[in-house]
Amino acid sequence: MQNLFQFLKKFRNFLLFIILQTFVLGLFINSKDFHRSQMTNTSSTVVGWFIEKRYNITKHFNLSAANDSLVAANAALKAQLPESFYPLQGSIFYVNDTLKKQQFQYIPATVINSSNNKINNYFTLNQGSAQGIEIGMGVISDNGLIGQIIDVSEYYSIVMTVLSDDIKVNVKLAKNNEYWLLNWNGKNNEIAQIEDVKRDVPFEIGDRVITRGGDTQFPEGIAVGTIDEIVSEDGEQTISLNIRLDVNYNAVYHVYVVKNLMRQQQLEIEERILSEDQ
Amino acid sequence: MNSPWIKYSAYFVLIVLIQGLVIQNIQINEYLNPMIYPVMILLLPFELNVLATLLVALVLGLSVDAFGNGFGLNASATLVLAYLRPPLLKLIKPRDGYDTTLLPTIHDMGKLWFLSYATLLLFIHHLWFFTVEIFRFDLFFLILSKTISSVVFSLLLIILFQYIFYKPSKK
Repeated sequence: MQNLFQFLKKFRNFLLFIILQTFVLGLFINSKDFHRSQMTNTSSTVVGWFIEKRYNITKHFNLSAANDSLVAANAALKAQLPESFYPLQGSIFYVNDTLKKQQFQYIPATVINSSNNKINNYFTLNQGSAQGIEIGMGVISDNGLIGQIIDVSEYYSIVMTVLSDDIKVNVKLAKNNEYWLLNWNGKNNEIAQIEDVKRDVPFEIGDRVITRGGDTQFPEGIAVGTIDEIVSEDGEQTISLNIRLDVNYNAVYHVYVVKNLMRQQQLEIEERILSEDQ
Repeated sequence: MNSPWIKYSAYFVLIVLIQGLVIQNIQINEYLNPMIYPVMILLLPFELNVLATLLVALVLGLSVDAFGNGFGLNASATLVLAYLRPPLLKLIKPRDGYDTTLLPTIHDMGKLWFLSYATLLLFIHHLWFFTVEIFRFDLFFLILSKTISSVVFSLLLIILFQYIFYKPSKK
């Protein structure tokens, strides 16, 4: 007994260090698991307040770049207005479309905090569950794909961007619909990777890669990037591609959260198939 | 500002806010992830024991973590720093011991002493930080290059911080 106490006294510091270390590493591993939404991060109220205040001071620094991208988006949208079209026929018919139903709506949000030098990178948005944002929704910007919502509080939400080791996105080649998974290897902020590409697929450097759609998060055809480099190793059955991303993740100011109105239906029916299989 | 407790609490709040609101947003490229908050642990008095240092480190790390999105990562690295500081101080002790009226700052202990002390501890802190963050051994060289470039940047910030906020202790 005496020995035990002496032992404890001698290694008291080390034991305390191990206990505290286990505790914080447990917190860290929990925070990576975004299905448990109760965690402390920049969506919490106190820190969110600080970050919003800082954003209010610094937001004007990037105004010209933000304006440029908004003006470009505006110009593209203006071109689609009825006024931009020259009427070829004298009379125009209004058709109440019963063949198409709206599937996607977009919730505008502003990036108030961002990281881009970690292995998993996040944006904090100034919109939350009060505006209808839910965990799992996709996020896009005018230039292309951004990421996925992983946590929501009432007025803030967290996006895990494509520049994250933990996220994989369904993408396809624009020209022949061959589909792959896009992942990021943590090294270069402009390049993401596609692995396990079959050698017989015809593609060239410079081909467009877009989202595949169908995974409830993103509509089909959101810009992702272009093929930049083809990495093939001798003896391997498959090759991997380096994709130059369209979005500059260091300069994203305004984003849209994708609300899929038919998500619940799709998930329910897929769930039913899975449970019938078992 | 007479009581050391008030002084250190003020430094604590100042350092957490500088780290959370300013330094965290210096994102020049993916290899630079500067951190200024280890300065809080580095500049604690010489004679502070491991227990107290660990507790300060835990609170400091968790406060900094609240400003980021990987909760617990900074706390883990800071605990390592706090645990290794007293043995390291013992290791590089001058021949006649430390003068307890002084602080381990660049003013009191000289440039050479402070640089070796801070570089060693910061390197361990950053290496732990990036290893736990990335946790992939095929990316070992990425971890190492991130560590080295960030240590240089953090060291510059920490030296600058002392020239702004610390005065030499009177002898």
